[in-house]
Amino acid sequence: MSELPGDVAGTGFPTIRIAHLYPSLLNVAGDGGNLAAIERRCAWRGIRTEVAPVEVGETPDMTGFDIILFHGGQDVEMAVAAADLAGKTPSLRAAADAGVTIFAVCAGLQLLGHRYIPSAGDAMEGAGILDLETRGGAQRFMQHAACEVTLGGRKETVVGFENHSGLTELGSGVRPFGRVIAGAGNNGRDGTEGAIRDNVLATYLHGPVLPKNPWLTDQLIRIALERSAGGPVELAPLDDELERRAHHVALAKALRNRGRRTALEPARLVRGEKRAS
Amino acid sequence: MTSRVSRRPLPGPASTLTPRLFAALAAGKAAGAAARLLGRGGGTSLPGLVARRIDPAVLDTVVRRRGVPVVAITGSNGKTTTARFTAALLRAESVPASYHPAGANLVQSVTSLAVNFADLRGRLPAGVLVTEVDEGALPLVAPELAPRVVLVTDLFRDQLDRFGELYAVAEAIESVVRGLPADATWIVNADDPLTASLAEGAAARRLTFGFDLDRDTDRITRAADTIRCPRCRADLVYRHVYLSHMGDYRCPACGFARPALDIAVTDVAVEGVGRTRFRVRLPSGASLELAAPQAGIHIAYDAAAALALLVALEVEPVHAAAALAMVGPAFGRLEQIDAGGRRIILGFAKNPTSFNTNLRALGTEGEPRQLLVAASNTLVDGEDFAWLWDVDFESAAPRVQRVTVSGTRADELANRLKYAGVDPGRMTIVEDRPTALEAALEAIAPGGTLTILAGYTPTIELREEMHRRGWVGRYWQQ
Repeated sequence: MSELPGDVAGTGFPTIRIAHLYPSLLNVAGDGGNLAAIERRCAWRGIRTEVAPVEVGETPDMTGFDIILFHGGQDVEMAVAAADLAGKTPSLRAAADAGVTIFAVCAGLQLLGHRYIPSAGDAMEGAGILDLETRGGAQRFMQHAACEVTLGGRKETVVGFENHSGLTELGSGVRPFGRVIAGAGNNGRDGTEGAIRDNVLATYLHGPVLPKNPWLTDQLIRIALERSAGGPVELAPLDDELERRAHHVALAKALRNRGRRTALEPARLVRGEKRAS
Repeated sequence: MTSRVSRRPLPGPASTLTPRLFAALAAGKAAGAAARLLGRGGGTSLPGLVARRIDPAVLDTVVRRRGVPVVAITGSNGKTTTARFTAALLRAESVPASYHPAGANLVQSVTSLAVNFADLRGRLPAGVLVTEVDEGALPLVAPELAPRVVLVTDLFRDQLDRFGELYAVAEAIESVVRGLPADATWIVNADDPLTASLAEGAAARRLTFGFDLDRDTDRITRAADTIRCPRCRADLVYRHVYLSHMGDYRCPACGFARPALDIAVTDVAVEGVGRTRFRVRLPSGASLELAAPQAGIHIAYDAAAALALLVALEVEPVHAAAALAMVGPAFGRLEQIDAGGRRIILGFAKNPTSFNTNLRALGTEGEPRQLLVAASNTLVDGEDFAWLWDVDFESAAPRVQRVTVSGTRADELANRLKYAGVDPGRMTIVEDRPTALEAALEAIAPGGTLTILAGYTPTIELREEMHRRGWVGRYWQQ
């Protein structure tokens, strides 16, 4: 095994090459923490990672990566990313077809779909990698959320914080990333959360989602390694006491908010009393 | 010296005194006194709430209709410190200034300020009413204040569950500035591309402040909000980055660029946790060598903003150096507290920028070594703490020897610190704030330092515990 390219002595695993799409544009919800989770959990196991930021105007060969991260952003930043995406789409599609692991959150999910149709303004064309379409909704879903996810033959609870007004409908070419336990999921109606196709996983969950769901992080690492190593991979277990605690607290908060639309009414934050700036 | 601000009291009782106004002022004042007596805060919101319920026009009557000169300080960061600097600078020139030292900035709080300072006939003391106004509350408060000067410190994304509001807040501020009369002044941070792009062609006179330094004092990080052109959305090019997204920038696509500076910081040095030194150039060409007993690059921005307010009011800052040298940190702004022979540095942090600014200032003294961090879900602090992952804990992690993690979101903080490189073996989780303070201090030898970084509510709670132990006054007594 040690003759594999990029192998770190002893681990037997090749270096994981990570593309971080639009890191300075889509950075709104602490989602950079997802990258930190992957990097750290690899480092703790002696697995090497390399990270390539991919900004507006840059069109590297996306099939050369093992994991591609595509995060959320505010409306203006999302529009800038959407305008740039066409140049990256053919290579992203090729990567998805080649089994590269793509993990997308919120705006990333919406832009991997066919299109995003806002309530006002022009539609944004997506990459069409996921068979889904999103329309701007009148209400913002903003709350602690949880869903049940099945990957690698195991069913686990995934927790996070959702903050979106887009209503996403899945087509027949994808299956849901998860089944809603608490929160609105894709559209607040059909109980689906996110989407999966091959090794493309997309969710509405911020949080950031990976640090408090170490199982999901390890699934992404495993899927990516199994593709590059060409066989089944078993990751060394880690001490996840703090991660489990964060997961537990987030799940409790999500369950407490179950059936409610928002965890907070934003207007109360503006009009409510706040003493210091 | 000529000045647009009178040092004498304003003309006596106007015909605006009605039984209703009298009742509102009396009830508001009584509510404030009761709150202070009960230890329920310093009457920063209750008097205004009560008075407005009796006479919704109380603020309008006492302030706008009597022509009180008002400065309204708004923006995401630095409102409280700028107000403190402004009051000190004005008082040093014998211009009385009324303001809330603890910082209070929503509709009820601004009303409380007027209710607390006015007499029972609704007369405010002579001089300037210095108000800080929450960036969201400005459109509601401005019509009742009719401010002579509006100052915008900067615009940052604050809490994530106020997501998407940044551009909406910018539009709201712009509409207020456009509504100002031609004899009013508005002051803007030129180094922030978003604020600098606001309200072009407005009737009011514009003054700008910013840094004129030939070096970077920060770098663009994940915490930066606006690094795209607010006009055409192209990526901005920075000649220098000063603090987060603030700097000397231009847009290569549409030509938008940082405006010329009327008030400029031409030198700045953070000298430990207790002092920042800076030089400020005024429109007259005069250059002031100044220092304040507070830490951080942002202190120079706040001082430049305060000096711009004096320029707008046509008060010459002759005694600026002496005035600023006396202004210690506002409550929880890297406040140094003697805790029975141990030093506490208390830093209140509410977003990635305030966290990073505090961490950078602490780093000039090799801190934090012994740390207490706290975050709680409350209405004020927010539900979503994802922004903790945008804080540069990574740079500070190697210095941290021991950390007590507290608050109802200790779980999220502890996990964040683990992923930033702090060994979980160095962490203790104690959710209860007073118990956490006790535990953190126990491990500190006499003469040692405990650094505390906490969200708004945990800061209040920890300070209350320190008050109980006799180490600090109440936050509203500063």
